[in-house]
Amino acid sequence: MRRSAGGASAAYWLGGVMISAVFVVPLLWEAFRSLQPESVVTAAPSGQTFGHLTFANYATLLSGQDDILRNVINSLIVAVAAAVLTALVSMLAGYGFALFRFRGSGLVFGVVLLAFMIPFQAVLTPLFLEMHDLHLLNSLLGLALFYTTFNLPVGVYVMRNSFLQVPAELVDAARVDGASVMKTLVSVFRPLIMPGIATTALYAFLFSWTEFLGALSFLTNDNLFTLPVALSNVETGTYGAVNYGLLLAGAVIAMIPCVIVYVALQRYYVRGLVSGALKG
Amino acid sequence: MASATQARRNTRTGLALVSPALLFVTVFALFPLGFGVYISLTNWPLVGAYQFVGLSNYESLIHNSEFLASIAFTLKYTGIVTIPIFVVGYALAVFVRSNRPGSTVFRTMIFVPYIVGLVAESYMAVVELQPTSGTANFVLSKLGIVSDSTAWLVHTGLAVTAISVLVVWFASGLTMMLLMAGMQSVPQEIYESARVDGASWWSMERRLTMPLLRRSIALSLIISVVGSFLAFNQFFIMTDGGPGTSTVPVVMSIYQEAFAQMDVGLASAMSVVLVIVVGLITFVQFRFLQGGAD
Repeated sequence: MRRSAGGASAAYWLGGVMISAVFVVPLLWEAFRSLQPESVVTAAPSGQTFGHLTFANYATLLSGQDDILRNVINSLIVAVAAAVLTALVSMLAGYGFALFRFRGSGLVFGVVLLAFMIPFQAVLTPLFLEMHDLHLLNSLLGLALFYTTFNLPVGVYVMRNSFLQVPAELVDAARVDGASVMKTLVSVFRPLIMPGIATTALYAFLFSWTEFLGALSFLTNDNLFTLPVALSNVETGTYGAVNYGLLLAGAVIAMIPCVIVYVALQRYYVRGLVSGALKG
Repeated sequence: MASATQARRNTRTGLALVSPALLFVTVFALFPLGFGVYISLTNWPLVGAYQFVGLSNYESLIHNSEFLASIAFTLKYTGIVTIPIFVVGYALAVFVRSNRPGSTVFRTMIFVPYIVGLVAESYMAVVELQPTSGTANFVLSKLGIVSDSTAWLVHTGLAVTAISVLVVWFASGLTMMLLMAGMQSVPQEIYESARVDGASWWSMERRLTMPLLRRSIALSLIISVVGSFLAFNQFFIMTDGGPGTSTVPVVMSIYQEAFAQMDVGLASAMSVVLVIVVGLITFVQFRFLQGGAD
C-alpha cells in the first residue's frame, strides 16, 4: 500500500479539475458573455455593468428581418442528411466488404479508403465546376452529398469492422435459413451493428455541423447559408454594423448541438477513435 | 456446381452493396482530383473555350511570390504548433490513461474544445482579442504581460501567437485521445520488471511506452501536421490573411486564386501541388516513425 493513497487521489482530483477548467471554462465564459448586451461586450470591463445579463442578443439573432434561425435550420438539414446518408451508405458497403468475399473487393475497398488521402480542401476548385454542371451549387442536398463523401472512408471502415465482429455461426445460420440478404441485415444483424451506425452518424453530423470552407465555396445565396457561414456575415457586419454581442450569441448557438450530441453519445465517439487509432 | 453459383451470387450481391459508396467516392473525390489535374494543364476561363497550355501554370507557380509566401507561412505555422500540440497532448494522455476515479470525466472535459470546432471558437476569439474590451487583454494586462490596448489581430506576430495558442488548446485533446488509446493497449506486465529494477518514471516512458506507441504517435502527428497544413478557418475568420497578406495559408491562397481572381487553371495547379505535398508529408512521417519496418 502507498503511504498516502487518499492524499494522492485528492491531488489527482485537484489536478484534474484544474486541467479540465483550462479546457471548459473559456467556453462557459463565452456563454456567460453572450448574455451581456452589445454595449457591455465592446466596452472596457467594469464591475458596474458586469452582471447585467439579458437575452437581447439571442432575441435579435433569432427574430426579425436578418434572423439566423433559417441558417440554423439549414445547418440542421445538411448535418442530419449527411449523417443519415453516411450511415446508410457505409452500412451497405461494410456489409458487402465484410460478408461477401468477391473478386476485386480488396481493390474497391482501397479505392474507397483512397478518398481519405485526398484532402477535400485540394479538390474544391474542380468540384465547384463539376457541381455547377450537376446543378448542385447553392443546394443543401449538394452540400450534404459532398459531406457524405468525405465521411465515407471512416464510416465504411467502422462498419466493415462491425460486420466482421458478427459471430460466424450467426452468419451461417442466416445463410442456411435462406433469408434474403436485406432481410438478414434488418432482422439478424441490426442489433449487432447499431453501435457502429451510431459512431458513423455521429462523426458525420459533427463534421457537417462545424464545416466551413466547403459551405463557403458551394453556397452563395444568403438564404441557404449554413450557420458557420452566416456568422461570417455577422462578423463583418453585412447585416448592418458589426455587432460582437450577436457574434458571441451565434457562436454559442453553434456549439450547443455539438456539446449535447457529444455528451449523450460520447462512448460511441471514443469507441470510433480508439478502433481507428489501434489499427492506424 | 452449387458453390460456383453461390460465388457468382456473392460477387453480384457484394458489388451491389458497395456500389453506392464507390459511386460517391468516384463522383465527388476521384473525378474532381483527375479533373483538377486536367484543368491545371489549361487556361480554363469562366466562359468560352479553353486551350492546353502544358505545364505553364506550374512554371508560373515557381515565380508566383504570393503562392510561395503562403507555402512558407504554412510551413512556419505548422512548425510552431506541432510540437506544443504533441507535448501537451502526450502529457494529458499520461494524466488520463489510468483508470483512476475521475479520469473519464477529465478526458471528456479536455476533449470538448475539439468537439465544438475551431470555427465557433475563432469567432469567440475575435471578440475576446479586441483591444480594451476583450477578455484576453483584461486578464493579461492584470498579470502585467501586455498592455490592455494590445491589438492582437492587426500585427502579424501577435496574430500568429494568438491563433497558435487557440489551436494548441483546440487540438491537444485529439492527440490526447489517440495516444491514450495506444497507451491503454500496452500490457501492464512489461512495466513490472522495469519497476523492480528501479527504473525511473521517465526512463520507463522513454524506453518502454514510446517505442510501443510508435503507430499511435505516427497517427497523431500525421493528423496534426496535415491538419495544420490544410488550415483555413481560423485565418479566414480571425485575420482574413492580414495584415496585408502576411497570414495567408496555402488553402486560402488557392481559395482566393479560384474565387476572387477567377484563375481556375492556376488554382488547380496549386491544388495539385497541395495534394502531392500532403501525400509526401504523410508518407515521410509514416516511414520515419515506422523506422522502415512493417
